[in-house]
Amino acid sequence: MTDTVLAPPSGTGTPSTAPTSLAPTPRGLWRRARWYLAFLVALLIGAVAVTALGQDHSYPPLDPRSYDRDGAHAVVALLERQGVTAEFTADPTGSPAGPDTLVLPEPDLLSPTQLRAVAAARHRRLVLIAPGPAALTALAPGIRLSDEDGGLPYASVHSTPADCPVIEAARAGSAQLGGMLYTSGSRGEGCYPRGHGYSLVSTPGAGGDVIVLGTGAFLHNEQLPKDGDASLALGLLGSQPRLTWHLPDYSAPLPDGVRARKTFGDYIPNGWHWAYYQLVVAAVLAALWRGRRLGPVVSEDLPVVVRASETTEGRARLYRRAKARGRAAEALRRAAGHRLAPALGVPLQAGVPDPDALCAAAAARLPDRPVGDVRALLYGPPPTDDTALLRLADDLDTLERQVRNP
Amino acid sequence: MALTGRTALLAALGALVVGLLLPSAAGIWLVTGAVLLAVAVDLVLAAPVRDLRFGRGGTTTVRLGEPATVELTVTNPSGRPLRALLRDAWAPSAWRPGTAGTASRHALTVPGGERRRAVTVLTPSRRGDHHAHRVTVRSFGPLGLAARQGSHLVPWTVRALPPFASRKHLPSRLARLRELDGRTSVLTRGQGTEFDSLREYLPGDDVRSIDWRASARRNTVAVRTWRPERDRHILVVLDTGRTSAGRVGDAPRLDAALDAALLLTALATRAGDRVDLLAHDLHKRAAVAGCSAHEVLPAFTNAMAGLEPALHETDLRALVSTALKMAPQRSLIVLLTGLDAAPVEDGLRPLLPLLTKRHEVVLASVADPRLDVLAAGRGTVEAVYGAAAAEQTRADRRATADRLTRHGVTVLDAPPAQIAPVLADAYLALKAAGRL
Repeated sequence: MTDTVLAPPSGTGTPSTAPTSLAPTPRGLWRRARWYLAFLVALLIGAVAVTALGQDHSYPPLDPRSYDRDGAHAVVALLERQGVTAEFTADPTGSPAGPDTLVLPEPDLLSPTQLRAVAAARHRRLVLIAPGPAALTALAPGIRLSDEDGGLPYASVHSTPADCPVIEAARAGSAQLGGMLYTSGSRGEGCYPRGHGYSLVSTPGAGGDVIVLGTGAFLHNEQLPKDGDASLALGLLGSQPRLTWHLPDYSAPLPDGVRARKTFGDYIPNGWHWAYYQLVVAAVLAALWRGRRLGPVVSEDLPVVVRASETTEGRARLYRRAKARGRAAEALRRAAGHRLAPALGVPLQAGVPDPDALCAAAAARLPDRPVGDVRALLYGPPPTDDTALLRLADDLDTLERQVRNP
Repeated sequence: MALTGRTALLAALGALVVGLLLPSAAGIWLVTGAVLLAVAVDLVLAAPVRDLRFGRGGTTTVRLGEPATVELTVTNPSGRPLRALLRDAWAPSAWRPGTAGTASRHALTVPGGERRRAVTVLTPSRRGDHHAHRVTVRSFGPLGLAARQGSHLVPWTVRALPPFASRKHLPSRLARLRELDGRTSVLTRGQGTEFDSLREYLPGDDVRSIDWRASARRNTVAVRTWRPERDRHILVVLDTGRTSAGRVGDAPRLDAALDAALLLTALATRAGDRVDLLAHDLHKRAAVAGCSAHEVLPAFTNAMAGLEPALHETDLRALVSTALKMAPQRSLIVLLTGLDAAPVEDGLRPLLPLLTKRHEVVLASVADPRLDVLAAGRGTVEAVYGAAAAEQTRADRRATADRLTRHGVTVLDAPPAQIAPVLADAYLALKAAGRL
């Protein structure tokens, strides 16, 4: 703003010849994009460096080569120190039978043919970890998942007492068990009972005995020092001079029969899958069409707005919170007196009417209200509770009404 | 660049081709490639956006709430015809609420080498300068599959002037002014202090106004007539500080103050007085001085258009010294400010003698009708405490006003709808009493 009269903005109204385009020049584009490009290049270099340098193997749980929390390297190392020969194999059918222990961490991933071959191989001890019905039928006949009364055959893993005559379990005492729960069958012996099932069942098999475990958690590197986990692990896996640990192939297709249900896609003729992909392309194009806006959003510089009565309302809340009935009553009485004075013809002195004159004038106007009554209302003691304050406000209103219309 | 719905539709129809004839990845590549090729051809054939030339014209000032038309001339220097969707973007408050989406868009066809005009109708809903943002053009190709898109900056400013809603009160106040002026036939002694002329005594004239000396020279009894003073100086001082930002009803206090100042200015200009304007908070925001009678109102509205309440405490010392500089001779100083106890007691009262020594001072303040609503609250504890607080606020304002009155200041305290006529009436009363 200036001292002079502000001239209205001037305009020519004729088309200008100067270019007004805001389209970025190549130089401007480069300047805007260069930091993003530099960041992208740095990111790429970093990613390549990390993949090149870090030979990071990640093993699945219960892998005997894994040093992770859920690996099983510790138990294998302990067994080897005790003179057990440990070997790992991807094919459980290939290992020769004899005085050995075969550990199957994922028996459900074996095909029925492999299961039959394992059953026929007559291993001295077979350890199955969380087997499903198919594996149980093939390798540990007579033992079923404990789902008799419709409940889930599952319990959380925590410290559980052994509570059974199997030597290894009795020696180990309580251990971190749980997981899948099984029945003990007619010939088997169940340990670590949870609910109505057992999380460890030992049953005689074709070549020796079969140990069915509800969970392999006690074999984890992290769990081994707890409870009797180490004792139980060494006892179960170290009874024979040779240990074969199966490394399941998680990427192999599931055995037949597992995926029985057909999805909606299976009913569409083969060629139309490609039409569906073409529709996806169309959807992407539609998204590009709808997503492009015609110029950026224009924002408004909003002014600051404060309600003028904000301070008064704040004062009212303060009065209420502080229970300032005296002040509130004083304000109401003074306002009533200020309004009554001109109606009764009482002069104001410094903005306030004289109390005696005001009360006398009001009483004179209203014959049925004595002076003392009016004085108590206008200049009485402050009200003691909120109800009295409400009554005072109403009484002041009544008095004003009566004075105006006697 | 931008795509259109046709591209997506074409790609979707391509699904039939893929499904029936070419159910393979190659089919998808073929169909999508064909669509993209068509898009590329369309893009190449579309008229370039970057080379377009623009010009503006139309309204530059508009009264708040009235429509303003701004023309945009588009010249297409290329040889190809331009089929375009154009968006003339302005801030949201420049449009009638809810119409920004449709009113800003224009469909245009400009043949090669020619020029067309698009008319944008703005209806500003906020006082002040509204600036044009960018003009975005989407130039479609002949197939309608894709478009080139780009923006141009074509500056233009539309100034929304204060609405001057109180001008409806002007005719009645002008009639009162004419009565004062003696231009209507009032047979009593003319009000005012400025000697006008001598005329013959008529029954009913005040005997005190008989000029005996003149009567002695003539054979008849002559009376003096008086008329209100003319050519007095009025300085309207707008406080645009913190207190003017408070919202009363739907608008800030400042808007009501501007309205009152405009009515006073219109009235005083007709009465032959000179009016100057000063808007001040921490610094001088606007000042208009020395305008002739017919240009003072446009100059004021123009200067007021850009005023916004500032969130500072007003520097009253600077305000008073500036006002004194602008009013070297005796003037009527109209202060449009608040009646809050603290700034008036601490800031204004020590400075008042400076103003009242030589000038007539009127302080006009916009009252809040919400206080009356609060003060009438009864029935619940919350309402009664609210009523007490409102009465306390009113008592404080009254006390401040009383103290100012004792300093010889005329204090006006009226709600926003009444402040303009109340101020005009106060001016007329001062004029009638010859106190200017």
